[in-house]
Amino acid sequence: MQTVTSRVTWLTGVNFSLYTPGWNKRTWVKALRRNILKLHEYQGKELLRRFGVNVQDGKVAYTPDEVRQIAQEYGQAVVVKAQVHVGGRGKAGGVKFSPTPDKAYENGQKILGMDIKGLTVKKVLVTKAVDIDKGKEYYVGMIVDRNVQSYTLMACAEGGMEIEELAVEKPEAIIKHRVDPVAGLRPYEAREIALKAGFEGNLNKLADMMVKMSKAAFELDANLVEINPLFVGEDGIPLALDTKFDVDDNAMYRHKDLADWRELEAEHPLEIEASNYGFAYVKLEGNVGVLGNGAGIVMTSLDVVNRAGAKPANFLDIGGGARADIVYNAVKLVSKDTDVKAIFINIFGGITRADEVAKGVIQALKDGILTKPVRMRIAGTAEEEAKSLLAEVNSDLIQMYPDMFQAAEAAAQEANK
Amino acid sequence: MSILIDKNTQVLVVGMTGREGANHTKAMREFGTQVVAGVTPGKGGLTHEGLPVYNSVRDAQANHQIDCSIIFVPPAGAADAVLESAHAGVPLIVLITEGVPTIDMMRAVQEVKQLNAVSLAEGGKGIRLIGGNCPGLVSSGESKIGIMPNKIYSEKGRIGLISRSGTLTYEAAKLLGDAGLGTSTTVGIGGDPIIGTTFADVLPLFEADPETDAVVVIGEIGGADEEAAAEYIKNHMKKPVVAFISGRSAPKGKRMGHAGAIIMGNVGTPESKLAAFADANVPVADTMPQIIDLVKQVLNK
Repeated sequence: MQTVTSRVTWLTGVNFSLYTPGWNKRTWVKALRRNILKLHEYQGKELLRRFGVNVQDGKVAYTPDEVRQIAQEYGQAVVVKAQVHVGGRGKAGGVKFSPTPDKAYENGQKILGMDIKGLTVKKVLVTKAVDIDKGKEYYVGMIVDRNVQSYTLMACAEGGMEIEELAVEKPEAIIKHRVDPVAGLRPYEAREIALKAGFEGNLNKLADMMVKMSKAAFELDANLVEINPLFVGEDGIPLALDTKFDVDDNAMYRHKDLADWRELEAEHPLEIEASNYGFAYVKLEGNVGVLGNGAGIVMTSLDVVNRAGAKPANFLDIGGGARADIVYNAVKLVSKDTDVKAIFINIFGGITRADEVAKGVIQALKDGILTKPVRMRIAGTAEEEAKSLLAEVNSDLIQMYPDMFQAAEAAAQEANK
Repeated sequence: MSILIDKNTQVLVVGMTGREGANHTKAMREFGTQVVAGVTPGKGGLTHEGLPVYNSVRDAQANHQIDCSIIFVPPAGAADAVLESAHAGVPLIVLITEGVPTIDMMRAVQEVKQLNAVSLAEGGKGIRLIGGNCPGLVSSGESKIGIMPNKIYSEKGRIGLISRSGTLTYEAAKLLGDAGLGTSTTVGIGGDPIIGTTFADVLPLFEADPETDAVVVIGEIGGADEEAAAEYIKNHMKKPVVAFISGRSAPKGKRMGHAGAIIMGNVGTPESKLAAFADANVPVADTMPQIIDLVKQVLNK
């Protein structure tokens, strides 16, 4: 009987931000860009171990030989699990129960190098197998919840995939509790939650695991931490079989040790380049390059380009207070995109100065980087200075419009030529 | 008197000598805001553009009446700066900083709420935090405590504006101004997951403000703040409200664990927000310019 693995799946047709109540727009964009810190199962487990959580033993292997070695060392049945930053490993055949070291070697051969949703498996986690039939699987998780302005802890006596259906059909089966952001989860609260959720097993140890999970969330600035399944065997001792972690990007400066775990993989080369500039950039399908200052205005710019009958080629937020050199880099980046036929720049200067934006665009033109028509709307701080700078250059490539709709229409027209 | 601030509001700028702090102090004074002092720890005793700089908020209070502090402090120290002002009893705190760790904000917001309750119980003014990651607030033609462009707020109007996004706030204010409607007070509540003041906290203030005839709410996909605002409007507001939701065509992405799905259900989607506003009889504009048409419509009813 194989262990149930991480079951984070891709959900299409539903907005990302819907499921990330604890995220701001920038983080949401970064997540789409896949350059935020994502943790593999073995890394998440390592973090929980640091906080004293009883985690299922396992070791990472890079070759089938190493897989065999670990299986021999454990001297019992193991599970070989692909370590990739994508859900649905089990369905793709990336998780295999292996009763003998030879079988583990064979499964290691199969899984290492396999392709799961466009990602190549480079390493596997070899864990001791657990007889699921001889125990119970529970769910506990903590997530930043803007509605209570703190973490909400969730506990449910039914672990696994079914938990989401359960949330719809029997919401009362999932115990929710606001965790105090200063005090953290207190042991008595954890005991109450375990009882309410109907967890069976050693109550103090169950509560202790939740308290430690909460400590890990606070200490590591987690947006999300889940232990799923939380397995309780015949001895009543809770054991974390799988975990999911997600760390707040804004707090990465105090977790320098975790930054080494960042893996850039399967990204669009432009997205990698954008992340080097520190831009919030997402590659999209269309042919109008879009750049703006602030995620809100960029989101609206995408809406406007769509309305104008064209499709945006990217989402690019240059942030607030952008200076000429930043705009220059942004124009350079968007110009590199071969899909882009025209560029729509939408800036409303509050903290950003419009003349700085104009200077950046003009410099890109002078350096021969800018070869595609730019249709822009710059308003706000230092708007007049920006206009006179552009008037001096007087190029057909760069045209300014009084409002974003006209600029978007013009860009769409150029792109559809 | 518009809401929260007026021409007499005395402002302390925390982080005044930094690049952003200095730039925006200048812009706020050009607008007519009464900036009375600044705080930069370690630079107490200096003057900046003719304004005294103090080492701490308490030092500044010893010499000035402080009605509001605006914070331009880098992310790592931002929540601490909020608590310094809150414990000093500053009634209005505006946090501009973007990128403050979520946990710092959870703790700061909770502590500010506790201090607010104590202050109100003792008959004080209470303590309110706006932001972080917000453009601040402005009472048109009177006082700007924030980073929005000055010229779109030079003339007073009668429409209240609340927004989660910085740039869209400017956009809407400009449209309202160009249409001859104008803004009374504009509040940028900020785009972070944990913020001090939500839509539903600001709406009652506009409801009670004799200088505001209608309110425009600029929301976004994600979170449940718009739904909460709709609930408040439905049950407590007599003044007309018009809404806009940005990001309706944003790219689709993945979800975050089971927890996100459980906690949110279907809340946060554009559909959910549209339904909530429809239920509260709040018309939702499809485009920014349409906001103007809708405001005119609701005013003529």
